[in-house]
Amino acid sequence: MRIDVDALKCIGCMACEMACGYHRDDAFALLASCIVVYRARDKKDYFGVVIKEEESLTIARPEGLEIKRIGVTEESSDSGQKKEADASAKPMLLREPCDLCSGMKYGPMCVKICPVDAISLIEGGE
Amino acid sequence: MDYLSSNKILIVDLETGQISEDELDDELVSQKIGGVGITTSLYETYQDRDPIILGAGLLTGTLFPGSALGVISAKSPRTGHVTHSPFTLKAGMEFKYTGFDYVVIVGKSKKPVFLWLHDGVADIQDASEFWGTDVWNTTDSIRKSMGDDLIQTLVIGPAGERGSDLAQICVNYWASGDCWGFGKVFGEKNLKAVALRGMGLLEISDPEDFVDQCFEVFETIKGGAFAGKSGVEDILTAMGEKDAKEWIAPFVHRHSACYNTPYPTNTFIYLNENPKTLTEPTEQEPGFLINDVGALLTLKRAGLSAESACRVLKACAKYGIDPSAVAELSARSGQKDPDKIEQSFVDLKGTVSAPEGGKFSSWAPMQPLFADFDLSDESAYGDWWVRRQALAYLFGIHPIFANMAPELSEELMIEMFNKGTGLDLSQETLDQAIADVCL
Repeated sequence: MRIDVDALKCIGCMACEMACGYHRDDAFALLASCIVVYRARDKKDYFGVVIKEEESLTIARPEGLEIKRIGVTEESSDSGQKKEADASAKPMLLREPCDLCSGMKYGPMCVKICPVDAISLIEGGE
Repeated sequence: MDYLSSNKILIVDLETGQISEDELDDELVSQKIGGVGITTSLYETYQDRDPIILGAGLLTGTLFPGSALGVISAKSPRTGHVTHSPFTLKAGMEFKYTGFDYVVIVGKSKKPVFLWLHDGVADIQDASEFWGTDVWNTTDSIRKSMGDDLIQTLVIGPAGERGSDLAQICVNYWASGDCWGFGKVFGEKNLKAVALRGMGLLEISDPEDFVDQCFEVFETIKGGAFAGKSGVEDILTAMGEKDAKEWIAPFVHRHSACYNTPYPTNTFIYLNENPKTLTEPTEQEPGFLINDVGALLTLKRAGLSAESACRVLKACAKYGIDPSAVAELSARSGQKDPDKIEQSFVDLKGTVSAPEGGKFSSWAPMQPLFADFDLSDESAYGDWWVRRQALAYLFGIHPIFANMAPELSEELMIEMFNKGTGLDLSQETLDQAIADVCL
């Protein structure tokens, strides 16, 4: 099972990010979240979601989903556009990977808290 | 104050450059709750020094639905009374995590400065190089100089620097709920901006019960009256503007929400790009985020095209002037040309309407949205609106969302307060706190 995100449905509210942070810290905080809304390009209204998993980063952009294997260097795309997720206070690669909210009675909290059902739990590993 | 708090009140004297801290006393929270309850109390304490107070609600930045609100309290240059302005998007949440619950700013700096709040640290920084630049350039410059694009700014533009009563404190690049001329107060203090970045942590007295309740409320709300609706255009439709969606649809790119607010109250329109574009636009400034429903409605009713209305709103946000005031004055003069409206900003003066007897911003429509709140008729809207806004501004709930979610009852707020803080809030104390901020 893994988390899937439909970035076109996402409204960027960050509820998923805070719920994940609560799972990590038993308090409200964002630094340990493994799901992050990237929102630095607010002047362009370009936002989506990044999830740190055990061996990959799932980047849900409006134009589609990309899964990057951690540690694998890729050649830049033809468009030359900057494609990586925005830097956050704590780099994604330093965060704990998603454990689907193991031990939480709610199940994956990001799925439960998303107001527009942009996040879902799907079959399949990484 | 151990819970839902950083336990710090910051006092910044711009005249001397001195910064000090007080603890947030449990007793103050027990009596005044948070948000405007405490900013009002702090205003009274420091009123001899013409303070401007920043704060967040008790629930701001939590998992409680709609907990997006930050508050600015000061004496309004437009009314001469202490009034309150909301700031939302991600700025209210970011403020809550800066490490300060409330910030009292007094005095006037000798030179332009901005206040940088982050991780429990406050710095007064030189803003000379930003003075004279517009809101967008200032936010860009602050983010670039700090190397962090997630910094949220409360920022003024030329309107505030020049002492216009219509000046607005904007949030990042966009309008805010400041309909009180607080941009002028910043300008008079030589305060160009407050920059916010929060990486703090909020402990909860009873975390499991608190979060259980958040999920329960969320589940109820999710299927509520606003289900399937989004953006400013559906709000306009709910306000009786039946053709609003059709009017603006050709420009709509996406809808977005303020922090943890289930209804996306913001509509982004593309003016220089195809709105259907999904990839990151190459254009650096393709459009504008509309979050002021009233301004948009006034411009529409004045006969402006959607494109012209949006160009006016964008110009307002760059100049740092209240778009609702601009819309009202433009409508009154009959001017519909966005370029000419923009050219009028420099000398724009005039009396514009404010909520009746209100201390809360008319940015939140003065009526229920989508839901009926069991009000008998429209004559009941006024008193209902004031109490509803007071509740939102105390607890930190998005003030527009508060008007569309009757599930967020006073009883529920009291319950969340008690679970979150471990203190004991009663309905009587809440009634008194509301009365105190509505006086």
